[in-house]
Amino acid sequence: MIFLTVGSMFTFDRLVRAVDEAAGRAAVFDEVFAQVGIGGYRPRNMKFAETLEREVYREYVAKSKAMIGHAGMGTILMALDAGRPLLVMPRLKRFGEIVNDHQVATAERFASNGYVLEAADERQIEAKLAQLKTFVPRARKANPAPVVARVSAALDEIAAKRRARGRE
Amino acid sequence: MSDNGAIKICLAASAGGHLSQLVSLEAAWRRHAYFFVTTSDIVSKELKGRFNARVYVVTEANREHPLKVLRLARQCMRILWDERPDVILSTGAAPGAILSLLGKLAGAKVIWLDSIANAERISLSGRIVRRFADLFLVQWAELARPDRAIEYHGEVI
Repeated sequence: MIFLTVGSMFTFDRLVRAVDEAAGRAAVFDEVFAQVGIGGYRPRNMKFAETLEREVYREYVAKSKAMIGHAGMGTILMALDAGRPLLVMPRLKRFGEIVNDHQVATAERFASNGYVLEAADERQIEAKLAQLKTFVPRARKANPAPVVARVSAALDEIAAKRRARGRE
Repeated sequence: MSDNGAIKICLAASAGGHLSQLVSLEAAWRRHAYFFVTTSDIVSKELKGRFNARVYVVTEANREHPLKVLRLARQCMRILWDERPDVILSTGAAPGAILSLLGKLAGAKVIWLDSIANAERISLSGRIVRRFADLFLVQWAELARPDRAIEYHGEVI
């Protein structure tokens, strides 16, 4: 199963429709399950849900062979953590899909590092779906420790100042 | 602030990637008192269960919807009035920025970690918060500006 998700906040019909049409032409290598968002485009060629509880969502990720999504960090990190090949398409401001075009840079950055596949727009979906079948994402292990140390130090400093002021 | 000098942190992040990044800093904030502010009921339920903490849900808003921003600001003021946090720790987006601004005006310190989703330019929320933040971190080395107190120490996710 391929898990298509548009994230928790908004619909992304341009992506869902493109994958649905590809599925209709039998241009997708496996059955797709789509999470389409509240009030989103209703696919004809794949099973779907508007939203998924977090736990159910995780089960779909775990059961999937590959994922398709917007270029949101939640989706990208979920796929990288689970080691799933992911095809992303950035949401664009001019279609009212998002407030700015930061997902374009996110998609390019993660794609150029070999972490995800990127389709710039719906016209590239079918070709990229063909690549998704054999795509092996580069492994990524995050190390939050240095940032945690910096934030801890700042919090300790704030706490120390409050204590000092309390003693006055 | 309590009398013994322990601090209370307002953990503010919109649902999705912003929140994952804030949770990944758990080792930094869990030694203090804290509560969450996020933007989705589903996520709120999960946070309550996982961290046994108070969680407030506010409206997600952006500059395209000024009325929503006003409503959000009112919600944030109410939360800050009730909770009186010493620190606002946020990864964005708009609700985190508004809590940071209002919190700062009320005397709290502000720590901002700009989302890893902003690879080419600091987020709009981040660019506003940078003017008054006490600690400002980015997650792309290219965006760091030590001369302007924009620090890079790696990525959290």
